[in-house]
Amino acid sequence: MSEYLTSRTAVCFLGAALLVYPLVFSGAFYLDIGVTFLLAAISASAWNIVGGYAGQVSVGHSMFFGVGAYTPLVVYTLWGWPPIAGIPLGIALSIGLAIVIGMPTFRLTGHYFSMATIAVAELIRIFFGTWDMVGAAIGLQGPAVARSFWDLTFRSELPYYYIFLGVLAILLATTAALERRRFGFYLRAIKASERAARSLGVPVRQTKMQALVLSAIFTSVAGSLYVIKTGFIDPDSAFGILISVQMVIVAALGGAGTLFGPLVGALILIPLQTATNSAFGGGGTGLTYILYGGIIVVIARFEPGGLFELWQRVAPYLRKRAHAA
Amino acid sequence: MLLEATNVAKVFGAFHAVAGADLAVEQGEIIGLIGPNGAGKSTFFNCLAGETTPTTGRILFDGKDVTYALPEVRARAGIGRTFQVPTAFEDMSVINNVMVGAFLRHPHRNDARDQARRIVELTGLRADQQARSLGTPGRKRLEIARVLATEPRLLLLDESLAGLTPTELRDAIALVRRIHDMGVTIVIVEHIMEVIMTLTKRVLVFNQGRVISSGTPEEVVRDDAVIEAYLGRAHRKRKEESR
Repeated sequence: MSEYLTSRTAVCFLGAALLVYPLVFSGAFYLDIGVTFLLAAISASAWNIVGGYAGQVSVGHSMFFGVGAYTPLVVYTLWGWPPIAGIPLGIALSIGLAIVIGMPTFRLTGHYFSMATIAVAELIRIFFGTWDMVGAAIGLQGPAVARSFWDLTFRSELPYYYIFLGVLAILLATTAALERRRFGFYLRAIKASERAARSLGVPVRQTKMQALVLSAIFTSVAGSLYVIKTGFIDPDSAFGILISVQMVIVAALGGAGTLFGPLVGALILIPLQTATNSAFGGGGTGLTYILYGGIIVVIARFEPGGLFELWQRVAPYLRKRAHAA
Repeated sequence: MLLEATNVAKVFGAFHAVAGADLAVEQGEIIGLIGPNGAGKSTFFNCLAGETTPTTGRILFDGKDVTYALPEVRARAGIGRTFQVPTAFEDMSVINNVMVGAFLRHPHRNDARDQARRIVELTGLRADQQARSLGTPGRKRLEIARVLATEPRLLLLDESLAGLTPTELRDAIALVRRIHDMGVTIVIVEHIMEVIMTLTKRVLVFNQGRVISSGTPEEVVRDDAVIEAYLGRAHRKRKEESR
């Protein structure tokens, strides 16, 4: 019980810290890090539902991110609607995509599933690069100046910060609620052993599909939020493999299949990434790959459960020492 | 008849793993499936559990055809099974492992937890222990607890008692008895004759994909065909000469 209370205190503390962060660090640089962090946390937490809890490691989640990123600017370009009107369309298309992609790929397991998702995301990226209606390789541009409030085009990043924080809170609350229900138990059972789960009456394929659809919805919303903030999209920034890889790494770093793992992962990775990028300037773009590669090696070799498992192992010792002192 | 398998065969390429086996199980029975390694009993067992589908033949459960039904559908129908190599959900506690099974008939969390608690108590496990810290006997027990939570009418045990010490074995036999007393029909695959002799009333002996003998355990162990299958023809001849 006391452990539960301490974790609750930690959550309240973290929530409060995220709420006041932009008020304390109000500089544009820090605000930008904050917004980037939230976006990474949302994407990785969305990925976590199917990739972490259900253990179906998709490395093609940029397909949902990209669909969500394109639809706001498509509805703006074609019909002059405010970009946020593209969010529900992005969600609907992502659900459809999840079902169409999930049906064949869920027959695969392990690496084969991961590889299939990469292939699909790349196909979509290449397809968008040649599709004139969505600007082909050049991409699409959003409203340069806000025509009304609903364009959500703000000078400052502050409003974006709080919108993103709200979405992250909804996503984590949804995940927390599902984690405690039958659905959450089934996802973890599938991750541990599909065969055993089946033998206990778990409708494996249906459960995986539900997880993928839910994950796709939130990943799509992450893409929409990204594009509403930046006001510009092209195939690489929507469907690039680095977007998928970032979700996997952020979640794995903090602890895939845990509620706050992706958030903790983003808390570490994003400042690190921003620091290396700003330290090495434009010449450091390749550095992101090196950083990701290094993290993959370290996690895979030393701590496959991520920081969450490391913490679970270390925490009892710390508590004991605190008692002794 | 609770379970009725007729002329079940499973062919892998040119190899007849099961070459036409019949099994009829009455409600409330405990039936043993024995046979030397590679006799086809595991394949036959997997046909019953839905892990593989038979090449030919028919399996009826409670009068309904389940020959091609998926394992999860059979579980819902009331066929439970354990695995020879235990497959605990490692990262979960004992109670959460059992809750996965309990959710089948109790969709709500609190009901499932209550059900799981009862089962954990019955099987003598510790609810808050982590599955990964369990030893072999604990894992075998957890395997049984998890499937019991699905409230099966027919329980298929695949060498659930193998690899136990004599004391653990006695406890495990008592547990299987208790489960049987709850009204669960049991089909058990087992190598340990002590288990078969003490638990079952009727035994089917497999060899080379066929049922070569059936009857009470006492009848079966005296059957020459069975002795030959296990110990070879030479042994049987020697036995005849010594008479």
